[in-house]
Amino acid sequence: MTAFKRIDKPSHINRTKQISFQFDGKMFNGFVGDTLASALLANGKTLLGRSFKYHRPRGIIGAGIEESNALLTTGSDGRTEPNTISTTAELKSGITAKSQNAWPSLNFDLMAVNQLLSPIFGAGFYYKTFMGPLKKSWMMYEPIIRKAAGLGAAVPDVDSARYEMRYMFCDVLIIGSGPAGLAAAVTAARSGARVVLVEQDFEFGGSILSSGSEELERWRKAQIAELEKSPEVRLLKRTTAQGIYDQNLAVLSLTPENHPALKITEQLRARTIIMATGAIERPLVFANNDRPGVMLASALRTYLNRFSVVPKKRAVIVTNNDSAYSTAFDLAENDVAVTVAEHRGTLSGNLLARAAQLGIAIFPNCGIADVIGEKQMRGVRLSGRHAVTIECDVLGMSGGWSPAVHLTSHGGIKPKYNEQIAAFIPGGFAKSHFGAGAINGTFGLLAAIREGDAAARAALPDSKKIKEFDLPAVREDRKYSIQPIWNAAEKSNEKYAFVDFQNDVTVKDIKGAHQEGYFSVEHLKRYTTLGMGTDQGKTSNVNALAMMADLRGLPLSQAGTTTFRPPYSPMTVGAIAARSVGLRFKPKRLSPLHDWHVAHGATFIEAGLWMRAWFYDWAGKTPEEAYIKEMELVRQNVGISDVSSLGKIDVQGSDAAEFLNRIYVNGFAKLPVGRARYGVMLNDDGVVLDDGTTSRITDTKFYMTTTTAQAGEVMSWLEYLLQMHWTDLNVHVTSLTDEWGGMAVSGPNSRRALQLAFPEIDITNEALPYMGVIEFKFEGVEVRVLRLSFSGELAYEVHCSADYTTALWEHILKAAELLGIKPYGLEALASLRIEKGHVAGADLDHRNTLDDLGLGKMAGKDKAYIGKELRFREDCQAPERWSLVGIESMEEGAKLRGGAILFAATDEIKGHGRGYITSVTWSTELNKYIALALYNGGLKHEGEDIICAFPLKNENVKARIVSPHFIDKQGERLHA
Amino acid sequence: MLKRVSALASAITFTGNGLNIAEAPDFTLTQYAGSEKELKKALGKIPARMSVSLEHDRRTQLRINPTQIWVIGEPVEAEACISTPLSSSRTRIVVEGENARFVLAKLSAIDFHPKQFKADTFVQTAIHHTPALIHCVGENAFHIYAMRTFALSVWEAVTDAALEFSA
Amino acid sequence: MRIPCPHCGERDVAEFRYGGDASNVRPSHGSGDLKQWHDYKFIFDNPQGPHLEYWQHVYGCRQWFKLNRNTATNEIVGGER
Repeated sequence: MTAFKRIDKPSHINRTKQISFQFDGKMFNGFVGDTLASALLANGKTLLGRSFKYHRPRGIIGAGIEESNALLTTGSDGRTEPNTISTTAELKSGITAKSQNAWPSLNFDLMAVNQLLSPIFGAGFYYKTFMGPLKKSWMMYEPIIRKAAGLGAAVPDVDSARYEMRYMFCDVLIIGSGPAGLAAAVTAARSGARVVLVEQDFEFGGSILSSGSEELERWRKAQIAELEKSPEVRLLKRTTAQGIYDQNLAVLSLTPENHPALKITEQLRARTIIMATGAIERPLVFANNDRPGVMLASALRTYLNRFSVVPKKRAVIVTNNDSAYSTAFDLAENDVAVTVAEHRGTLSGNLLARAAQLGIAIFPNCGIADVIGEKQMRGVRLSGRHAVTIECDVLGMSGGWSPAVHLTSHGGIKPKYNEQIAAFIPGGFAKSHFGAGAINGTFGLLAAIREGDAAARAALPDSKKIKEFDLPAVREDRKYSIQPIWNAAEKSNEKYAFVDFQNDVTVKDIKGAHQEGYFSVEHLKRYTTLGMGTDQGKTSNVNALAMMADLRGLPLSQAGTTTFRPPYSPMTVGAIAARSVGLRFKPKRLSPLHDWHVAHGATFIEAGLWMRAWFYDWAGKTPEEAYIKEMELVRQNVGISDVSSLGKIDVQGSDAAEFLNRIYVNGFAKLPVGRARYGVMLNDDGVVLDDGTTSRITDTKFYMTTTTAQAGEVMSWLEYLLQMHWTDLNVHVTSLTDEWGGMAVSGPNSRRALQLAFPEIDITNEALPYMGVIEFKFEGVEVRVLRLSFSGELAYEVHCSADYTTALWEHILKAAELLGIKPYGLEALASLRIEKGHVAGADLDHRNTLDDLGLGKMAGKDKAYIGKELRFREDCQAPERWSLVGIESMEEGAKLRGGAILFAATDEIKGHGRGYITSVTWSTELNKYIALALYNGGLKHEGEDIICAFPLKNENVKARIVSPHFIDKQGERLHA
Repeated sequence: MLKRVSALASAITFTGNGLNIAEAPDFTLTQYAGSEKELKKALGKIPARMSVSLEHDRRTQLRINPTQIWVIGEPVEAEACISTPLSSSRTRIVVEGENARFVLAKLSAIDFHPKQFKADTFVQTAIHHTPALIHCVGENAFHIYAMRTFALSVWEAVTDAALEFSA
Repeated sequence: MRIPCPHCGERDVAEFRYGGDASNVRPSHGSGDLKQWHDYKFIFDNPQGPHLEYWQHVYGCRQWFKLNRNTATNEIVGGER
């Protein structure tokens, strides 16, 4: 029994282009220009889904973004889209759509049994029921209840679509292409401004598309043609303005055609914004107003005039305002029998006359008492004096119109109630924002066009004279008259009178909320869940809060509204992420030697944004195997390691030495040229910020290094000091992290290796002592060698410009091949320094002071340095603060672990302990696990037995506190 | 002589419609720093402000902040001010063609309209969370100076943004 | 949000690094006064409304500057170099 049919009347569908699509496994036909909904209606499908909680049969209610019922799942696998709004989905060849929330089928849904349990499933039921018999019982009920409710199902597949982001700018953004929006766009375009017109539909024209007027259609086409010819106008169909943010940022969601991306998110900065977003029709609230076949009156008009789809025989229209008569008259003119149930007692003479002409019967002072039929309505029973039952195919309802004020709400402006049109209009507009047309409560077509034109002129006050606007040759606007009826249900069947269709919220629920004390709008919303569905209450909000205001005896203007937030319509998360997915989420930072490491068996590890060579396959297949071999190579022979990621900063100027002297705790003013010095810097609060080695290249030029992790922080810190406070210092700082690459050549044979590589250069102990710096040119490239050691062995750092680092590295490897030199990675690099007792990133965690790290003696007593004052505050000097110690494992076979919590041997293993392990390694020298740690009281406890507790693996390992310098305490190897 | 290795040695080449994206290597970049007076003395003529490049004495000058100027070309003998060689620190990528501006619009929130960003203008901005300098060198031709260590990531971001124009 | 860099003009906030409250006066280097440094570093207001603060244009010119931003509305009322 089909309630609709397609007729021959010309409209916006293209009958020469037929499309086939699938719904619930069956094939159907439609046309280019159809939506999924109009094509389904034309094919007689009115039952399209089952409601959220009660599994009531549901069909299409509207013809646009306000649709709350007809949500379908389209696509498959990685391109499945649940909750597709069928009334806005453009019909395309090959679409497969499935109904949702019904099992085993739409027609025979077993879960409809929920309806019988509706007394239990009222609003807020989960606060009042399903709580026993045990405390945790809800956890048992919840999965079952969740399965029984819902709309579309998400799929576990990865979203296989591509999404893109872009950033654009314009002078005027116009949102909505109905009469007001088109007029605004044309006027703005004529001024030469950069204009963007966005329209969520796949056709421009807004309400004009539903008008059926030839003259309006001509006018619409003329405006579009003019806009298409204007070079500075961007016309964006299939584009929704999802939100307006600070400083006129509009976020648009586009569905492009013929583009590799499925959706494009555009961040558009507009100098001015004109909102011509129109208005959305309200339903009326009466028993069984959710049955398939009960629709918004304006939607019936759209299906007729835009898609050539009409009710088969008879339509009943129920209304409280004049606008529904446009539907009534248009249907009647297309051979549909129409009857009107009119809530009001009087009507304008013009409307009565026209109705009479068309043979339309009107019942005044009358609404709908009930709707007959379940899976498809087949009749209505009128309320009021005329207790008549009328057989019909559809019921069109109109409770009035609500301006789409959402975008003004995004900016925090609360809507205000307008008695005359019984609706909420924007409470105001921010500076540089304007509204035109139905959004303002201006429902007349010509008035809307005039407002659009005026808004554009107001938005561009400095434009030269703009040509006068052409109005369409149509009759002057009719006045809009309405009598608000918020609750038209009879008391006896309020529990079947739906206010929010998508979340199954009825009048009974609203009264229940009021009774239980949830009467503020914010509580009403969250307690009943009305307005919280994918439609965000587009057809329910106003009716509901008006009902609550009535219950509370408040005028609507005082009832308050909830806040609309972006996005305006559902948006796929992928579109927000755009290309920031997977490996593209963060940029990768690569050393100049990266390609060499790849080609020579390196496994990489992430260190912040850097990809660093972790270990090499010559040393082993796993990191545990490899790092030990690499460590042994360095301790016994010579290895080469990539240290290019270190922060390197160029510090130059006549005051450079003074500057460094102020920021480091130790002295730098008298550092000789050709020498390097280890330095530690504190923050203003007296806590360690970073450490590094700074070399003096000339009197006024220094080469500073920082840790990899803190390079950016330190750079910004130095710039801050020089630019905001010490502006009198003549110093310039520039990052050289990318300009220079660096390699550490370490081990007892490192000098020999460099001598083989650079036979012309004097690298003897005298020419290049410990902490010395030399520079020379090698094959046209500047090379800087610093005798520094991170590992504790005789070692050098060789730096040169990044473009030549690979060539120089390869040269050293080749020249020193006969020694057995090989590369070693980050794991070994870190392990070597732990054995030596050098602090590094893991120990410098921005809570530790100089004294905590055992470096207190470094600080100059008589010189000023940043952090000196607060370094001595009480908390930083507390005697039981933790400080750096070494740890030796006393249990053979047991591992020490980073993060292990330390206890004295006599402590109960409970609570916070006395410290923790910061870095661990296997010591190839001592043949056991060692660690650096922070321990309350530090080296006062040297020699004591402790326990390293690691609760995650249930391990308690016996260990002992020792000096953090495990090898070469006298530094003999360093000074070799 | 030691061989130079590009940061984009392993980058996948790009072929496009109305779009060319390639490395534009072989440039010398030196940064000069000092007061207005010192910079003028060292370079002769300097850009009056940031965001507009200056061609002078067969060198291109980009004033990246009030006291620092990038000079692309032969270094200058400048005792008056502080100089820092930076030729290795940046990788230069050329993006040119009628579709170039559309690609840039996906990379950074800058207005790349031909009237707003024309020849001899430049901006310092972020591309894929890394600092980059974009210099308009022709009607639809642009040089991107990406940080060398991020060059491959930037290359991938730029060529990915250009996917809709790939041949 | 857009931040007006005094050198580069208005740019997207993602190009900047926020530097905290700028209303305290930095004591002179080496003043030796613990209380003075303590108050400078740790004592400052957290207003709902106009707020003087530091910003650095890290992805642009790398210059630091101060501006006055309304913490409730994000309205930016002028800046200083």
